[in-house]
Amino acid sequence: MERLLQHLERFSEVLEVSRSTYVSTWEPATVRRALQWASYLRHIHRRFGRHGRIRTALERRLHNQWRQKGSSGPGPGSGLINFRSLGHCDVLLAVSLLENRALGDAAYHHLLQQLFPGPGVPDTDEETLQNSLVSLARLRSAVHILRLYAYRENPEVQKDPLVKTQAELLLEHLQDVGKAEAEGPSRFLNSLWERLPQNNFLKVLAAALLLPSSSTRPQEEGLELSSPETPGEGRQELVRWLLGKSNIMSVFCRNLPAGLLASVVGRHPALFRVYLGLLTDWGRHLHYDLQKGSWIGAEPQDLPWEELYNRFQSLYQAPPPLKDEVLTSLASCKAQDGDFEVPGLSIWTDLLVALGNGT
Amino acid sequence: MAQDSVDLFSEYQFWMQKLSVWDQASTLEAQQDTCIHLPQFQRFLRSMYKALKEMDSSTIIERFPTIGQLLAKTCWNPFILAYDESQKILIWCLCCLINKEPQNSGESKFNSWIRSLLSFILSAFRFNIKEVSLFSQRLGYAPTDYYPGLLTNMVSSLVSELGENPLNGFNTQRRMEQVTSLSQVCIPLVTLPELEPLVEALLTYQGDEPQEILCPEFFEAVNEAFLLKKISLPTLAVICLWLRHLPSLEKAMLRLFEKLLSSERNHLQRIEHCIKDSLLPQAACHPAIFRIVDEMFRCALLGTDGAPEVLAALQVFTRCFVEALEKENKQVKFALKIYFPYASPSLVMLLLQHPKDIPLEHWCQSLTHMSEMLREMVEGQTDGSYRGAFESWFLFIHFGGWADIAAEQLLISEAEPPEALLWLLAFSSSPHDGSQQRAQTMVEVKVVIGRLLKLFRSPTLSGQDLQTAAGEDREGDPRPLACQRLVRHLLLSFLLWAPRGHTIAREVITLMAQTEEITHEIIGFLDQTLYRWDQLCVEAPKSGRVARQLLAELRTQVDHVEAQGGPGTV
Repeated sequence: MERLLQHLERFSEVLEVSRSTYVSTWEPATVRRALQWASYLRHIHRRFGRHGRIRTALERRLHNQWRQKGSSGPGPGSGLINFRSLGHCDVLLAVSLLENRALGDAAYHHLLQQLFPGPGVPDTDEETLQNSLVSLARLRSAVHILRLYAYRENPEVQKDPLVKTQAELLLEHLQDVGKAEAEGPSRFLNSLWERLPQNNFLKVLAAALLLPSSSTRPQEEGLELSSPETPGEGRQELVRWLLGKSNIMSVFCRNLPAGLLASVVGRHPALFRVYLGLLTDWGRHLHYDLQKGSWIGAEPQDLPWEELYNRFQSLYQAPPPLKDEVLTSLASCKAQDGDFEVPGLSIWTDLLVALGNGT
Repeated sequence: MAQDSVDLFSEYQFWMQKLSVWDQASTLEAQQDTCIHLPQFQRFLRSMYKALKEMDSSTIIERFPTIGQLLAKTCWNPFILAYDESQKILIWCLCCLINKEPQNSGESKFNSWIRSLLSFILSAFRFNIKEVSLFSQRLGYAPTDYYPGLLTNMVSSLVSELGENPLNGFNTQRRMEQVTSLSQVCIPLVTLPELEPLVEALLTYQGDEPQEILCPEFFEAVNEAFLLKKISLPTLAVICLWLRHLPSLEKAMLRLFEKLLSSERNHLQRIEHCIKDSLLPQAACHPAIFRIVDEMFRCALLGTDGAPEVLAALQVFTRCFVEALEKENKQVKFALKIYFPYASPSLVMLLLQHPKDIPLEHWCQSLTHMSEMLREMVEGQTDGSYRGAFESWFLFIHFGGWADIAAEQLLISEAEPPEALLWLLAFSSSPHDGSQQRAQTMVEVKVVIGRLLKLFRSPTLSGQDLQTAAGEDREGDPRPLACQRLVRHLLLSFLLWAPRGHTIAREVITLMAQTEEITHEIIGFLDQTLYRWDQLCVEAPKSGRVARQLLAELRTQVDHVEAQGGPGTV
């Protein structure tokens, strides 16, 4: 077992080297050995897919490696992140080498012979590797064609295929992290938040929170263990993380469209309460401008009236528990302000009127 | 060989020009033209590869100085990269250009350029989904991890978009164009398993527009992929395909014919399997499809002068069709007018009855009834037209198993042969005979049957007796071919059913099978008889055993002759 783990570590190093300029020293024989190694690990993947103990040990080792690299910011990484990725470690190696200009001519020539043996080669490992590479090229072109000539951004963020795919990856990864790391995924989510374009990440978060349980990616055939960690729990991890990060939660509620937020908080009551609290806070920051006859913010970062109104309206139009709680909350704020019925005195009165619920 | 290379060179120039015009297939016209040519271009790439792999890289450059450009243009065309195996063959071609030991800077540069093309193919177009790449990379995922899922999600998003109702005709024109263009860009992609839901959704998409909005090449590509079993589609989608694009239906039928007439000749079980597998009987439940399929059978019969293989295929097809119809709708019989609009409904009803559902003792009665109705139609034709007779025959032959039953009944019943059954036999074996000729055939057949019946229980039986009974050595004009065939079938039936027929079966068959054609005919007869008994659950263990044995022996014999390079099949 220990030997196997060492192999794994060695191969991760090989993968890393395959992306560096060190490959200039590689000879044809080195290329062949590296590919043999990859093919060996692929067999391991096939063989131990159903073997719980070995699999978990490998998974843990891979995750630790990934995390160590992750502390300097999870970068392009080795690509070996979980047990699943062992299944195509040969593709990873092949692509790295093909793209690496430092690889010498003779070694490159040998690489091509190994990867693309041409027609009529029986179904050996090379053939499978050739097919995986070729089918990757084909999929890329297919995605490109559809993206360019058929894709229209879906107004419903959670249904947008690009966002949805990222959300699925995120949940899947949370599942893996959950298995391997005791303290949960918050460290990893923090680092994502710091390093990824925030707007996209927010959308992905929202879509992940909305994914139906059945919609995780198809599992590898016959190789997946039934895992106690379900994607549902991945979503709970996200909720916990957001609740623990008030600043991120605030950006989340501030930047995403009202309708999307209403759907998200409709599914996660804990987020709903925080959201409602934030909206109330933001409402308190607005004051009535007599000259303009409207509610305006004191600071530029305050949420404009229209935005506030839109958010309340989306909640108000949501299915029952949300609508009722919003009304109760607005009514109680209005009462605290003195229960005036005249416009321009309390923002809550005006909001209720605007929502069609003024008395 | 020299001619080949001249051809290749002129093709090379043709495609070089095409590729320059297509550019990166960014305009609609370029896409259209690319999509039409994809299979042809793939064939060219294949022959290019064959030529390249025989040369070293410097010879290649000498012979095809612009090969790098040609392949580069190919790399940049996503439609080609996405089509079938083109990307693979392209990679093979590029591999041939790599110089193992570049001798000068020019060769090094060229190597480096080819390397960039190769890595382009494998990591092409990633900028297009920047957010996804960046995100997945941060998570540590490789493209292999998420491309299938991404494509699946894109497809399901497009599928649900297609399912949405357009806003009350608002922007219908625009939507139409979108669907047309979607069907076009899908052409190279139809064989990707991830695309299946979208292909299905497009095929079943019903716009409000009366004219067809999916492009014909899309139908062709889907049909081709379906016929080659590269994709599987729900029956409903296949029916939509064939209804919307008749050339596809015709192609499907032609492929079925090819298969049936070449590889599956005289193997009705396999023919049945082939036919069911083609989904055509199920699709034929749709009357418009049925008419075309039926029309093609009619043409095939006319074109082959009623080849027994086509007849057999038509009968099995009809059986499968009726089965599919019954599965779909229990009350099929009321709808038959739609399928056989010009036939008498009562005759169709009669023919359609599965003999299995009729008690054995009523078979003769049903046959008599059929014969009378057909005879009335054929002989009642005031203009006596050939066409009328043919149409009646064509209808009857769909259910041709009845004619075989008639022949069998004549021998087994051991009674005076009823006129009606004789007529039915004569008619089914040769529809275009005039009434005089038919009467002559009936007389001949009646005589033969009479003699056979006398021999039926004979304790001593020889091949010679049967020869005499068949009247092979009779005086006068030779019998017409159809009549000869009929007599042979009666003899074969006799051999299977007469108590002592088995003892002389081999001898008689050897005497009978004088030509290869007749041998095939005997094989066909035995195969059909066994198939029919199986269908009807006929209990004839001894006869069945003999028939199977004879069939196996004859098949081995034929295979043996053919393997020895004997004369080709007839």
